[in-house]
Amino acid sequence: MNSKFIVWIKFAMANLLRNGRRSFYTIIAIAIGYAAVNIFGGFTSYIFTNLKDSFIYSHANGHLTIFKKGFLTEGRIDPTKYLITSQEYALIDDICAKIPQILIATPQMQITGLISNGEVSTVFIGSGRVPSQTQEIQRQATGIGGNLKLHNGKALQDDIPYGVGLTNGLAEKLNIDIGSDAVVMSPTVDGRINALDVEVFQRYDVPVEELNDKVMRLPLKFAQSLYDTKSIDRLSLLLTDEKLITPIKKLLQTAFKKNKLEMEVKTWKELSPFYRKVKDMFDIIFIFIFIIVFIIVVTSVVNTLSMSVIERTREIGTLRALGLKRKGIIGLFAMESGMLGLVGSFFGILITILNWLLIKLFEPQWMPPNYVIKIPLEIFMVPVYMYWTLLFLVLLSSIISIIPAKKAAYKNIVDALGHT
Amino acid sequence: MSSLVEMKNIKKDYYLGETRITALKSINLSIQNGEFVAVWGPSGSGKSTLCNLMGLTDNHTSGTLLFQGTEVTSLSDNQKSEMRNQHLGFIFQNFNLIPVLTALDNVTLPLLIKGEFEKSSINAAKSLLFELGIGDYFLHRPHKLSGGQQQRVAIARALITAPDLIIADEPTANLDSENALKIIDLMRKINISKKTTFVFSTHDQRLLDRVNRQINLQDGFITNDSKADKKNNDNVETNKNTNFETKQML
Repeated sequence: MNSKFIVWIKFAMANLLRNGRRSFYTIIAIAIGYAAVNIFGGFTSYIFTNLKDSFIYSHANGHLTIFKKGFLTEGRIDPTKYLITSQEYALIDDICAKIPQILIATPQMQITGLISNGEVSTVFIGSGRVPSQTQEIQRQATGIGGNLKLHNGKALQDDIPYGVGLTNGLAEKLNIDIGSDAVVMSPTVDGRINALDVEVFQRYDVPVEELNDKVMRLPLKFAQSLYDTKSIDRLSLLLTDEKLITPIKKLLQTAFKKNKLEMEVKTWKELSPFYRKVKDMFDIIFIFIFIIVFIIVVTSVVNTLSMSVIERTREIGTLRALGLKRKGIIGLFAMESGMLGLVGSFFGILITILNWLLIKLFEPQWMPPNYVIKIPLEIFMVPVYMYWTLLFLVLLSSIISIIPAKKAAYKNIVDALGHT
Repeated sequence: MSSLVEMKNIKKDYYLGETRITALKSINLSIQNGEFVAVWGPSGSGKSTLCNLMGLTDNHTSGTLLFQGTEVTSLSDNQKSEMRNQHLGFIFQNFNLIPVLTALDNVTLPLLIKGEFEKSSINAAKSLLFELGIGDYFLHRPHKLSGGQQQRVAIARALITAPDLIIADEPTANLDSENALKIIDLMRKINISKKTTFVFSTHDQRLLDRVNRQINLQDGFITNDSKADKKNNDNVETNKNTNFETKQML
């Protein structure tokens, strides 16, 4: 940095310090604005991460899911028509095995039917999984979701197909508990009625209140036995890296086309409308907060500089008389304003870090959306947000200073010199 | 040799609301290099307006104003700014020092504006401040300096770019008698030693006694433009014995 520029910076700093209290309040306004954006941004980032982890890992849905083409549309009326046959599954499994970025490819079969305790019957929606693979997906979670125990009782097991999990609401409805027996009934894919005994291995909650007395989880083998089929309805894939979702999806689509498999591949975001809705909501709130911060910063800086222009009118006249060009006056005010933005952002960073430390220290607990137990509240530090907010506020402060600075620069020199 | 400043039929109108006020009416004059000129007259006679036009800080309404042979109306605002920075120096009645800057920084300010600020600029400013008798105060801010000291800093600031013309608008109006005399003698000495041209507006008879040319303005007209008599010039020379700090320096 050359010496001329340093002298101008010193001059700009001296100008800011001449009315220290006013500059301080402006800096505080910018700092609070900076912190508001970053704390809220950090909170939304925490929410999004947890929602994502919850869907991908806790609920073991993986990054990608493969369905038979039409299952998600026409298949809603008659899902048995759109099942993936065992031959197709074998082929898909073979394709997935050749892609090293696919960590786990686990089949699923969702079923519906009646469950009875011998006296009372009620409908259920069941998700048939391979317990060991489901647990492996949950273990891969890096965030909070990986460490949570989401059920009471024992884990489902691959080799004990009759061991199932019931939601607490369903268990209460049937007045049964862990260790109790029940009977489930359902039509097979051929349309005959089938009934099988089950033992309750675990109880758990689902985040959607309306489903908490209807859902059960069961081993895939059991679901297939009940439906009397070897087919599955979907295949969930866990990838080594989230960034690979799009390329692996394309790779699979190409492979399916090549093998004449009528399949469709959906990303976790496509299958999680809840995530999208929550994200959209937080994005809108974020925009509102950003607009409020924008207005606070703009009014604070414009007010500070407008006052400064009035107070320094004679000086501006002197600088112009000494030969400083109009753009020089504008540049000086922009520099002062940019410094307000920079120092304000610096304090904003400190407030953000302080907030982060306090939350780390006190570890408050809460129950976020799509969770059934309380988890630690966190505010993530997002360097990308912090960097862009800093850049934005410094640039915004500098740019909006042009309004009062231009007024100063275009003052008549003689009038400015005569200003008292 | 062409004049430093040449005015031909210069007229300057001001508007106060819708009322037109003619501050200068058909001014014809030329200023030569090295002159020490006082523009005097009663309040409202147009002294400051004349100085402002010569200092390129204001625009005339009609007529021709040449600065070093250049018609100033043809210059853009940027060109006028450059001309003020490189060829003109200003001394103001209220000193107009930048309060947040030290005396030294105030003096180097025109060089900073010019884009020629270097380490040597600081040395040049320091030696100028020493020359003007305020070398011990170069790190002081204006509010720590007396009126006389502030005006010396302003003079140093006007001199730092070695301008062709220094415009001084009532330079002694805010000074006590002792400091006023010192400042007048200082400017005269600079005029003699550095051949710097001075044009200043004044009411101060002590200043008028020391100039070699007086331009008297009345109601926007030049009523008298004469060289001061030699006696006055000699008077300045005899004032060398006056007790002020710069006598060793100049």
